[in-house]
Amino acid sequence: MSLLTAIFYYMAFACVASALLAVTRKNPVHSMLWVLALFLHVAGIFLLLNAEFLAAVQIIVYAGAILIFYLFVLILLDVPEEVARPRFGRHWLFAVAIGLSFAALAALARVETLDPEGVRVAPTARPVAAVGPPQGSLEEIGMALFGPFALPFEIASLLLLAAIVGAIVLAKRKAGGA
Amino acid sequence: MVPVSAVVGSSAVLFAIGAFGFLARRNIILMLISAEVMLNAVNLSLVGFSWHLGDPRGQVLALFVIAVAAAEAAIGLGLVIAMNRNRPGAGVGDLTSLKW
Repeated sequence: MSLLTAIFYYMAFACVASALLAVTRKNPVHSMLWVLALFLHVAGIFLLLNAEFLAAVQIIVYAGAILIFYLFVLILLDVPEEVARPRFGRHWLFAVAIGLSFAALAALARVETLDPEGVRVAPTARPVAAVGPPQGSLEEIGMALFGPFALPFEIASLLLLAAIVGAIVLAKRKAGGA
Repeated sequence: MVPVSAVVGSSAVLFAIGAFGFLARRNIILMLISAEVMLNAVNLSLVGFSWHLGDPRGQVLALFVIAVAAAEAAIGLGLVIAMNRNRPGAGVGDLTSLKW
């Protein structure tokens, strides 16, 4: 087992463990910190999979912005009262069954059709002097983003604008007390 | 390196944990966080397939998923704040006014 393989399996195990702890801890702040660990380990897997730019975006946007936003709103609420509440609804066994049926997808993902000969492009086996930038580089992502993905890119910016306006409208205190 | 099935398998396990958390937790913020776990699982499988097939489009799609997650966080937490103003607490058990 090579070093990269060992690191990948450590990262995957740590992801699963921190996700499990995140959804089962009683204190919401502890859950947030375990989700932070999960995001950092997912960023580590991205690094192993030649997605350096996405790893940086994952840390900056997910761990840095979105999670801190969640923590701010969590602190606005009464954390000790949330700790005293029951964690799970009465139907939690049903939720376990749903989760296990999704986890059956993990078994299906081991089907050999995912790794056929000929489709596999081993990243390490790619010639260095191949035409174009190396796979996963920022230049390649940028060319895709502003080339064939230009329209989805603009729609994403419109979506973010709508989300900003919507969040302000939702969180604003109504003047008339309506 | 590992086969792509290991990446997709861990992504499916993460998605399952997120789905369980979304269905079972009774705190609305932790339900939203479980949705973020599910979105991260989808990103993981997108990046895994992008690496497997040597195609940058998977990473571009993962970037869009991150943008949608940011929008979802903003709207969801705005809803939490608006809900918290009318009725303190973030439990979903007592939100029954739409229940017939």
